[in-house]
Amino acid sequence: MSTETGRESRRSGALVSVMRWMENLSDTQYAYLLLIPVFVLLGVVALYPLLRTFELSLFAISADFSSTNFVGAGNYVELFTGGKNRYLPGGTTFLPEGFGLGALLNSALVVTIIFAVTSVLFETLIGLGQALILDQDFYGRRWIRAAIIIPWAVPVVIQGIIFFLMFNSNVGFLTPPLADLGLLAPTNTLNDTASATFIIIVADIWKTSAFMALLILAGLQSIDRGLYDVAKVAGATKWQQFKLITFPLILPTIGVAVLFRSVQAMRVYGIIDTVSSCTVVPSLSCMVVATFTTREGTSAAIAFVTAAIIGIVVMGLIAWQGEDAI
Amino acid sequence: MATPTDTQEQSSDGPLQRWTQSAIQNPDKVYRALFYAAMVFFLVTTLFPFYWLIVLAVTPEGNLLSGSFLPTVNLFGVSGTFPLPVPKGFNPGAFVTVFEQVPFHLYMLNSFALAVTTTVIVLFVASLAGYVFGRLRFPGRALLMLGILAISYFPPAAFVIPLFQAFAGNAPITIPFTSIPLFTPPRLLNTPGSMVLPFSALFMPLSIFILTTFYGQIPDGLEDAARVEGTTRLGALFRVIMPLSAPGVATAAVLTFIAVYNEYFFSSIMATSPEAAKWSPIVGGILSYQTQYTTQYNLMAAASIVGVLPVVILVIVAQERIVSGLTSGALKE
Repeated sequence: MSTETGRESRRSGALVSVMRWMENLSDTQYAYLLLIPVFVLLGVVALYPLLRTFELSLFAISADFSSTNFVGAGNYVELFTGGKNRYLPGGTTFLPEGFGLGALLNSALVVTIIFAVTSVLFETLIGLGQALILDQDFYGRRWIRAAIIIPWAVPVVIQGIIFFLMFNSNVGFLTPPLADLGLLAPTNTLNDTASATFIIIVADIWKTSAFMALLILAGLQSIDRGLYDVAKVAGATKWQQFKLITFPLILPTIGVAVLFRSVQAMRVYGIIDTVSSCTVVPSLSCMVVATFTTREGTSAAIAFVTAAIIGIVVMGLIAWQGEDAI
Repeated sequence: MATPTDTQEQSSDGPLQRWTQSAIQNPDKVYRALFYAAMVFFLVTTLFPFYWLIVLAVTPEGNLLSGSFLPTVNLFGVSGTFPLPVPKGFNPGAFVTVFEQVPFHLYMLNSFALAVTTTVIVLFVASLAGYVFGRLRFPGRALLMLGILAISYFPPAAFVIPLFQAFAGNAPITIPFTSIPLFTPPRLLNTPGSMVLPFSALFMPLSIFILTTFYGQIPDGLEDAARVEGTTRLGALFRVIMPLSAPGVATAAVLTFIAVYNEYFFSSIMATSPEAAKWSPIVGGILSYQTQYTTQYNLMAAASIVGVLPVVILVIVAQERIVSGLTSGALKE
């Protein structure tokens, strides 16, 4: 590989000349050369599909399935006016058709937003609790931390199976006690939209709180411990220490963590597919998967709207958090 | 709980009362107790689902549907429901049947192969990018990093339709918004390619950001010294910077491996039939215990336990790496 000695540099192999050419590139040229694999991979697997999805969303299949016609924004207009609802599985609608709980939970858009907001809210609270525990020094901390991280590393399909088995009508033991409390439907629980949504949110909280906890823990551990000594001398209680030192200092970290999780939560698909089904708990990703083999245009329009909503969420949170979020 | 006046009046107080009194004098003790209570609560809630899998897996198939998993206990004449599910009988045979009925080990091998291949690709490509972003200053750097971040925010659903069509290999790929055909791709559905490609793109941004952080921390002097010694530019990256950032590389590798092993969306769509011979990963394996007519609950539970073991071991062995990777990768973005 080395080209330092005269003997080797006289060698005229292709490899040597490529190496010599590389040595003489400017920093900028070299940077872009090394980035080519990234560009190719992301171009083929992300950028091309994204553009193509947008292109597909502008076309609709004709009534006799023989040809596709350019309809412009037609798919989007129909999606938001309810014209596409007949193609969605299980009587799902895109926008809610009313403001009752049933109508709201029948709308793919509302279910996705409810799922994202509720699960991220509880994950942040529980993650904060877990992070405060892990921030302490105690014997066996390593093992407790491993135990708390494990749910995060569980494959989505196994997470789904666990909650399917817990609430299934045949073997699930948790349905009767929770049905007595009025939280779940007593029979056919996993086919009841409200109950299944509840279970899926709980399943997501179980799995992803640890992720929040780790991010918040990083924020906690960057706090200068001297601040607490000062607070102790000043006679501050534990609650005052938390409210006046810990919380303001970890707020930016929490902001980034919430941004990250919200984006992931909006994609929810696997847990719904394993615990219940897309016809019972409609999410946006579910609708894309359910329609993409038969109604490309509709499916592409939903996919693009999902991406746009995530984009808006990201922009909103970045605007709220300022530059810290990036 | 006893009130302070109680404890003062009664000289023969029990341990609880004594504890309460000392706690009132020393509030740190209360915080300590709250701390342990919260810790136990979190431990129980995170680990209980695994206990439930074990309960189901060892319950003999015949006993699954009869009676309740919550036994009624009779304690000193008061009968109540035991709050924890217990197995109805004991038969570990499910852990053998799991492999006999469905070749579950083959599904796991598929998952492993996909995860390892993706990890190798991601590490190579992300190393180049991490070197560029971490160590070189050039115009467009910030914009490119922002672009990669933006791509990682898009949902997989926004990519799946064209990718599925391309991997089906029926029609030539055209340049978007034109009908100019480029080439007809080979049929990749049900092969590793159809999963490794999307996984690599999906999980690469995190590795790029982790490696950018780690590679950026290596002092310039070390790279310069290697270059003076006659290493090529690429040689300096792979022989000096990468080995010196071994913890960072390991972190990126562990996180990518876990992410691929856990993936559901593309794993369930790109492997169109849940057969081990057609590269279906554990997603297909576990769901094949549930057919249209029967659902073998104990086998599903046993398969889940087997399937979760590799990541549990990985978390216990590599937890430091996971913690540092998630925080440096996610927070520095």
